[in-house]
Amino acid sequence: MPTVNRPSRSAEATFRSSARLKELMAAHFTGVDRAAREKSAPVAWCTSVGPVELLRALGYQVFFPENHGALLGASRVAGEVMGRAHALGYSPDICSYLTSDIGAYLARKSPLTRYGLSGAPRPDLLLYSTNQCREVRDWFEFYGREWNLPVVGVTSFRDLGEVEDSHVEAITRQLEGLIPALEAVAGRRLDAPALEQAVERSRTCSDLWRDCLNSSASRPAPLSFFDATIQMGPAVVLRGTAEACDYYRLLKAELSERVTAGAGAPHRERFRLYWDGMPIWGRLRDLSTLFASLGTSVVASTYCNSWVFDALDPRDPLRSMARASLELFIARAEGPKQRYLERMAHEFSVDGLVFHDARTCPNNSNVRFGLAQRLRRASHVPVLVLDGDLNDLRCFSDEQARTNIEAFVEQLEGAVPATAGGGHG
Amino acid sequence: MVVAGVDLGTECVKTVVVDGDGKIVGRATVPTRGYFQDCFQEATGTALQEAKVPAAQLAAVCATGFAASCVPIASQALSETLCHARGAWHTVKKEMTVVDIGGRDPKVIHVDARGAVTASRSVRKCAVGIGTFLMFASRHLDVHPTRLMDLATSAAKAAPVGSYCSVFSEVEVIELLRQGSTAGEIALGCMISIADRILEIDHLENPIYITGGVCEYFPGVVKALAERSALSVEILPEPILAGAFGAALYALDQARG
Repeated sequence: MPTVNRPSRSAEATFRSSARLKELMAAHFTGVDRAAREKSAPVAWCTSVGPVELLRALGYQVFFPENHGALLGASRVAGEVMGRAHALGYSPDICSYLTSDIGAYLARKSPLTRYGLSGAPRPDLLLYSTNQCREVRDWFEFYGREWNLPVVGVTSFRDLGEVEDSHVEAITRQLEGLIPALEAVAGRRLDAPALEQAVERSRTCSDLWRDCLNSSASRPAPLSFFDATIQMGPAVVLRGTAEACDYYRLLKAELSERVTAGAGAPHRERFRLYWDGMPIWGRLRDLSTLFASLGTSVVASTYCNSWVFDALDPRDPLRSMARASLELFIARAEGPKQRYLERMAHEFSVDGLVFHDARTCPNNSNVRFGLAQRLRRASHVPVLVLDGDLNDLRCFSDEQARTNIEAFVEQLEGAVPATAGGGHG
Repeated sequence: MVVAGVDLGTECVKTVVVDGDGKIVGRATVPTRGYFQDCFQEATGTALQEAKVPAAQLAAVCATGFAASCVPIASQALSETLCHARGAWHTVKKEMTVVDIGGRDPKVIHVDARGAVTASRSVRKCAVGIGTFLMFASRHLDVHPTRLMDLATSAAKAAPVGSYCSVFSEVEVIELLRQGSTAGEIALGCMISIADRILEIDHLENPIYITGGVCEYFPGVVKALAERSALSVEILPEPILAGAFGAALYALDQARG
């Protein structure tokens, strides 16, 4: 049986590519900020799995508020500022990215100060897609009212079983309907080759990112879920650009080297787990070191695969963007979700699944309709549910989570008691 | 050879000393107050006294529970899930569902015929503090916690206490008093409320064995659990010690190498 040791960071991997990642992310933030201040390019805010390719093709600099939300969570600034949004009527029970971001705006706080920004760059337009949740629209409309800016978007389908042509057609029509508003702010017409190029780059980025994630099908896995939540930055904020593709070529090569060398992240891999649901940003490091100290690698996740868009096709840009936005896990019904998780559990040879039930993110918490129990019965894969949240650490108990994780790893060991005699004397 | 298991919970710290045959030769339970290290010393000192062995003779010590990290002489630390399952299985030796109801977060633990844990689930965060809630309820009903069970037994009907949150439930108790419910009706309502929270954690399968301190002091919770689930529910001998006993058995494994 394992002695429960104090977690040690030395058990985790470091990446050579990370230096370039830091440069790239810094250049992204400062680039958007400069465009906003100097009015050298139109600036848009876009939801993380929204139709960013339209913006790229029209020359926008694009900022992603969900990325800002994650930074607020990881830096734990979220806890200091969310109350400001609650006081405005944004409930503690709704998306804590939203309440963190609006709270940070009201409190004039942002982790982006480390890049020399005073806060999130002010846009000329906000573009959403509700393929992930309704909150993104409410979130953007707050700023639309605050700054008197156009807020446009796609009202998408949710809980889809099969993605039918009629669904794709409807979203394609909505994307087409957005173009005049996007052109008006950009002051130029949408150029078809530019859109094809943006979609092609998004697809290339997506393919390369998927290759990086799939490298963890190897034993030991070279890239953990916790590392991947950091490494996915360019796939989120630079999708549709050549820089993102270049970065993932670099990372993919490093991961190939790690696979060849048998270098795992973490170094010791007794058990392999899958993570479903949002990261717990303010406890990313703690959880990473805890799992590593238990010789357990979280090798794959639904979350990091959310930026893999297999449907994107530069030969049919709008329709393929529509299909890609609908095929996302988060937009699907319980049946496709279960099939996806079963496939991932098999492909990554996992010993167990961890479901994060994020209090303020019902749309990305997949244990609320019995899925975990059905999966356990169907595939016999052990399941652990962690209560928590993406940003609101008041919804997370360190002690309860630690106890449950340790107990789960002990369960995976399948400890069968030695037969001592005696008992209650 | 003697070894010890220590279960440091939010309401009580328990130590069990077992001999080389796994037979309990010393045990102690002390209420949790102040520093856990002091509670550990007190509980372990008393248990060793009963066992008539000095601390230096302990071949291994396994710690479990909320403050397992506060046992400086522990040779290993394991989760309470594993230790309660081990303690229960050692007594019953068959496939079962263990329901651990302690001061903080109750757990439903599925154990197979070999004694291995196959699944476990604890109550969600906003419903923690179940045992502690009964202590608070006693205060509002102006009785010593050990009297709460007598009060509940005397009631012909229960006053409904239904919140997930123990703090909200506490407010419900005060509200019920204001409305004129009897202390007995409220005490029974509290026990039923806890049974309902446990039934919500996970699917229960026969046979069900209860461990933890709540059923030692408040057996009405177990009665309510059996009535509301229509399942066969049994309490293990010395249920409050099940976690410490399981830990002691793991210490014995370790000492035997």
